[in-house]
Amino acid sequence: MQPKNLSDHSVLDKSVLAPAAQPASVLDDSVSADAVLKDSVLKEDFALKGRGFKPRRKYRKIDRGLSRCGRILAATRMQPWLLVWVLGANLGQVCAAQDIHAPTSVPAGEDTHFTTTGSDKATFYLVGPGVSSKSDVELAQGVRIPAQSVRNAGNYLAILCSDTCRSATFYVTPAQPATLTLRVHPSRVPVGQNDAVSGVALPFDQFHNLVIAPYEVNFQLTSGNSSVMSRAVRTLSGIAWFRTSSGKNTGILQVNAALNAVTSRRAVQQVASDPCNLRIKGQRTSKGIVVETEPVRDCSGNPVPDGTIVTFTASSENTKSSVDAPIKRGIARAQMEAPGATTISAASGVVMGNDLRIGAQP
Amino acid sequence: MRLPRNPMAAMVVLVAVSVSPLRAADSSAKVQLNVDKAGPRAVEAQTEQVILRDYRAAWTSLAQALEFNTLDPLEGPFVGTAKKWLTDSVTSQRSTGLSSRYSDQNHKLEAVFYAPEGDVIELHDTAEYQLQVSDGGKSIQEQHMIVHYVVLMTPAADRWVIRPLQAVPQF
Repeated sequence: MQPKNLSDHSVLDKSVLAPAAQPASVLDDSVSADAVLKDSVLKEDFALKGRGFKPRRKYRKIDRGLSRCGRILAATRMQPWLLVWVLGANLGQVCAAQDIHAPTSVPAGEDTHFTTTGSDKATFYLVGPGVSSKSDVELAQGVRIPAQSVRNAGNYLAILCSDTCRSATFYVTPAQPATLTLRVHPSRVPVGQNDAVSGVALPFDQFHNLVIAPYEVNFQLTSGNSSVMSRAVRTLSGIAWFRTSSGKNTGILQVNAALNAVTSRRAVQQVASDPCNLRIKGQRTSKGIVVETEPVRDCSGNPVPDGTIVTFTASSENTKSSVDAPIKRGIARAQMEAPGATTISAASGVVMGNDLRIGAQP
Repeated sequence: MRLPRNPMAAMVVLVAVSVSPLRAADSSAKVQLNVDKAGPRAVEAQTEQVILRDYRAAWTSLAQALEFNTLDPLEGPFVGTAKKWLTDSVTSQRSTGLSSRYSDQNHKLEAVFYAPEGDVIELHDTAEYQLQVSDGGKSIQEQHMIVHYVVLMTPAADRWVIRPLQAVPQF
């Protein structure tokens, strides 16, 4: 039988939709169905098949796919116009000539390669955190993603466009921890305070991505030669933290955090706590009463910092007067005018000292 | 819905119905914040409100910056790595002629860590949005996204700012 005129579209009769002898998946086709509609040679091939003509081998897949549609139509008793709509709605998926397959995850800063299907040229787009690129690619060669394009961790969208666009999403995961951010509070802390020192450690990779995967962080707090705390904490969603009491001695509290070979260090100044056992002594002079404290120390025996205020109060029969004096070299000193018999007391913060009774001026 | 018998008319109706939600896209962000699991420090009510306000504003700014390829909206809500990658995104989009439109944003935000001193908070955001990527004004990709973000926010002078904003496959 001689083929009819190649431009005669009427030959695309119902035989195209006839059940196929062998099942095949239309989604597997690498040839666009757009080509089927545009290429009259194809149409002729299919038309002739219904009249006993065997299509060329390269078109058999499409034929089988369309035949499958025919079976679906028959099985579901679908109206032809509905089939047209279904095909139209899914044209992008069913007929796509090109496709892209991305790995689900890619390590940050590493070259990667996406496989593509198709044989033509296409435009490749990569959209992700900090990246928005566009390039022409040969579908047969796949797509190579350079390391510098995937440095930022997060989700990326790879889009491949020729006649239609296909896309794939993938995640870039952080690399190994390269730095450890350590935040420690406070910078200055009184000794012997419960839960007064806290720290938060966050591992980042060399590209400044927060490393979410769990790692063990070793916190070590040392004061002088003594260890104040040592604790291993596993990161949870990229964070490890601790809270502990301050040491007993004044000086530098070293806070070290280590994650394998990655370390970070901070220093906290430990200062004396509130005065403890405040004791005063004094004597009357020609100008009044001179009163001073003994060296002021906290309850751990640490000298209280200079500048700490001690309040002296002189109480006589009818009068009461107060003087604030800062501690200098561990001692607070004041001079008070009180001609009569006087009782002097001292206080610093919430601590009261002893009462000192001094007789009247002779 | 009853479809017209005429196949062409039915197609027109169906296409119109399927396209209409895209036209109703909203660029503002809806954010829900749950602080029940935050620790070791409890999130104060006022802090919760401010974080909610600033996180919503940050995503609105992000959407504006990436849709119109302008850097101005990024000044303020973002610092550190978040600001850098957003700046890089806008810069590269400008050079390639691309733009990204984030619409119909819905964020379910959960505070999972609040530092003892209140100087850093970690949030987990399950974000849903419609992402449209355009090349030269022509849409090349549009899809509904559900993305999990790990977010670190720190207090600044007058607001909470986002430092890392990092998408992860799952929490």
